[in-house]
Amino acid sequence: MTVFSALLSHYRRHPLQLLALALMIVLATMLWTGVSHLTDRARASLAQSERAIAGQQELVREDGQSVSVQDFAYLRRQGLCVMPWLEVERPAPEGRVIGVDPFASACFGNEAPGQARVDALNGEPFLDIAEAAEMVRQGSDGQLSLLVPVDVEANAVPAAFRLKDFSMGPATGELGESFLLNLDALGVLVLLITALLVRSVYQLGLVQRRESFALLRRFGVPAARVQVLLLIEMVALTSVCVIPGIWLGRLLAEILGGGFGQVLESLFDAPLYAVAGDGFVLPALVMVSVVLLACFADKRLLLRLPWLSGRQSVLWFGVPVLGLGLAMVAWPFILGWLYVGIALVFVAVGLLTPRVLSHVAQWGVEGAGAITLWQRRELAVLFRRLALPVVALQFAVAMVLAVQALVTTFEDAFEQWLAQRLEAEFYVEVPAQSAVEDGVRYLESLSGLGDWHLVQRGTTRVVPEMAGDDAATSVEVDLFSISPIGPLVTGWTLLDATPDAWEKLAAGQGVMVNEQLARRQEYQPGDPIGFALGEQTLALPVVGVYADYGRPEGEILVAGQILPDTFNTRFQSLSLNPGTLAMAEIEQGLATVWNTDQLTVRDNSSIRSLASEVFDQTFLITRAITVLTLVLAGTSLLVMGWVFFTTRAWYYRLLFVWGLSRREVAGQLRWLAMFLTGAVAVAALPLGVWLTWTLVSRINPLAFGWSLPMAVYPGFWLEMLVLCLAIGLAIAVLMRRQLGAGVAAPAVANVSGGGER
Amino acid sequence: MVASLLTAQGLNKQFRSGSQPVSVFRNLSLQLDRGESLALTGRSGSGKSTLLNILCGLEQPNTGSVQVLDEVFEGDTDRQAEARWANLRRQQIGVVFQEANLMPALSLLDNVRLRARLAGRNEDDCRDWLERLGIGELSGRFPDQVSGGQRQRAALAMVFAMNPALILADEPTGSLDRHTAEDVTGQLFDLQARHGCGLVLATHDVELATRCSHHLDLGHLPET
Repeated sequence: MTVFSALLSHYRRHPLQLLALALMIVLATMLWTGVSHLTDRARASLAQSERAIAGQQELVREDGQSVSVQDFAYLRRQGLCVMPWLEVERPAPEGRVIGVDPFASACFGNEAPGQARVDALNGEPFLDIAEAAEMVRQGSDGQLSLLVPVDVEANAVPAAFRLKDFSMGPATGELGESFLLNLDALGVLVLLITALLVRSVYQLGLVQRRESFALLRRFGVPAARVQVLLLIEMVALTSVCVIPGIWLGRLLAEILGGGFGQVLESLFDAPLYAVAGDGFVLPALVMVSVVLLACFADKRLLLRLPWLSGRQSVLWFGVPVLGLGLAMVAWPFILGWLYVGIALVFVAVGLLTPRVLSHVAQWGVEGAGAITLWQRRELAVLFRRLALPVVALQFAVAMVLAVQALVTTFEDAFEQWLAQRLEAEFYVEVPAQSAVEDGVRYLESLSGLGDWHLVQRGTTRVVPEMAGDDAATSVEVDLFSISPIGPLVTGWTLLDATPDAWEKLAAGQGVMVNEQLARRQEYQPGDPIGFALGEQTLALPVVGVYADYGRPEGEILVAGQILPDTFNTRFQSLSLNPGTLAMAEIEQGLATVWNTDQLTVRDNSSIRSLASEVFDQTFLITRAITVLTLVLAGTSLLVMGWVFFTTRAWYYRLLFVWGLSRREVAGQLRWLAMFLTGAVAVAALPLGVWLTWTLVSRINPLAFGWSLPMAVYPGFWLEMLVLCLAIGLAIAVLMRRQLGAGVAAPAVANVSGGGER
Repeated sequence: MVASLLTAQGLNKQFRSGSQPVSVFRNLSLQLDRGESLALTGRSGSGKSTLLNILCGLEQPNTGSVQVLDEVFEGDTDRQAEARWANLRRQQIGVVFQEANLMPALSLLDNVRLRARLAGRNEDDCRDWLERLGIGELSGRFPDQVSGGQRQRAALAMVFAMNPALILADEPTGSLDRHTAEDVTGQLFDLQARHGCGLVLATHDVELATRCSHHLDLGHLPET
């Protein structure tokens, strides 16, 4: 029998503890690997998609007709570097494929769009243009674009064509960043919680092996050697457990990958590419490091920070850190500062929660009866001795509360916003070079047409200080005009407004600004705003602030009537309800007056449902991951609570010896366990609400320029409380079975010593 | 006729070791009146603790009957019998184990108060009991802050604070040094005599057994 086998003999006697530790490492690895793998794939996919279209431009016909193969041939003969790009919609699950011509792109040099992906992505979604053309011939919808390098200038373009920025979809860079930031933060939090859980199970094992360590020391084994052996034990165990953990994590990522891919495809126009994983080495190294750090870091840290190991010193350290963290979040200067503040708050809450709950449990017990006194003192001990799983569950519950509130708020706000923006049934793009007035006159001539308006977009410069109109301090923003201002827009929910805001806007007596601009330039309703329109500068009061989720740019909304003829309109569209008329008839009429055979018409209801579906899928993943984290934390507290209660089983049996019936003892256990877990849920609530507020009111505005309304969902709080109580009940049921089987021997005094007061 | 404090008749106890039945004791009978004491001796595993557990209802015999005061148990294992046993343990039977008789989260005084409260006794006397056993000045300390002997004295204070009719002590001085053990047992016998309660004491100490009014040697190892 060696010292090492003597140490391991503990697990022969208590295989459940070894199983719990192994299970925790496997689950932690699985969860982190799953999140990390998905985030890596999303990041790589988005990056590739961005690279595919970044900085590209295309040639379009001046007459609004679609470009053709003949146009391609003509342009090549003119000496222009042009590459055909044929997008073909394939039925699900294949999705969109893109036909490119690598030979034609040779003149792009190394920056040829699509070419790099053809090499790197094993063809998906890019393929040879001949194959794509064949698909179109067989009936698939296809759209041809002609791409030219970024250095081609307008004067080099033949007369019948013009340059246009090439884009595969809406500008979603910020949304993509938000999405990835969300996943990154989740990954870090998951890592933190899992590290806490592993540490808690490991530490409980140490407490129960304390007698073995003491015995080994009496036999002359130095403490340092025991430490080294424990380190070897953990390295071996972790090395074995991370392999199935990584495999399960990959499996989790694959299971979630379907919905995840759809999200990327629909939201960012980026398919989830089959990016090769990092293999097993990197995740294994990360998890072994995290586990070892979680289990052994304090051996060195606490020696250097003795002021953290005392009880009072925890309060002296924790309270100022909490105050500092809260202050940093309340008054953030930059995003990094905010994250440091959040980290400080979590550290302080983690240190303080067990102590505070322990004090609260004993609060007012002086005059209480003996049984109440015992209950409360026992509870206080449980809070202190189960500090780590208690804090882990608190963090997990808080995270779930915050994510749920954020997601639900975002869904509600987004859907409401989308419904308002897409109030009209149809959207018709005014072809370039077409006279918008012809279309407007045509619509005005129709009888039976429902509500409609013309949207014109361009850019302008806002002058923050009215006096002087100092161009150096002006900022460029988007300009968004609507005419006429009618029922399709007056139902928008405004974040802030003056009385009769819509009437003032319609009369050209004011403008509205989006939230991004209001935040950046600190505009309030009533503030004057100066902006350039064509060659003139207007000064009008801000009459309202409207929500504009997902866009980083500032925007001004004006009535179309104030736009001068000299205003450079970049984009025009009509939003309309056909009323009693058939949309096909209207479409035909507009095509005729604009003399085009390719009118872009969108059915807004399908866009609405598609967008809602996309967001449902986006947040389904976020929810799934947070719920998995909660399950892990709950399981940990269940296992830890059960194991810890078992160490005190003798004392609960004393109650039986002293004359309480089994039912009464079971009742006491139920009270203790459910109070313990219920208190965790209650303690998680303020942290969860604070985290929600931080996400919607601090992180979002700083990171993306827009905020969400702060909403709370007490129904969900109740669900979390019930879940925590169920965990407590499960502990009590397990303990009742344990006590029913009899208790062989009391724990000796030194096992229960310490932590009792 | 006045019933005796404790009567056990024809007790048999078996347990299984693998597939083999092991008999701990057969047809065992005993009787104890108020003010009397009974020493149970025998080798380790001879069934002393099992018998004590049966005498306070923590375990059930396979056959035989136990009578404590007016309560008679003849193989009853139903909820009613359990409630009657629980009531007896709560108010009339004080049990002292070799160690770990105190709730670790409570001070010595609060432990005594808890036991008195469960028995429905006056909590005001609790401090006096600690004083009488010589540990009054330690009343605010927690179990892990005092010595083993002081913990056992506190356990005795808990038992006497409930003013029981019967004390069952399972090697109460087994973990103490000789001097402390003599001190603690001296106080146990002294208080038992003064209060006139019955005492059943399981012990390996032959000298201690001779101080009891009766002696039952379970002597042998269980038979398979």
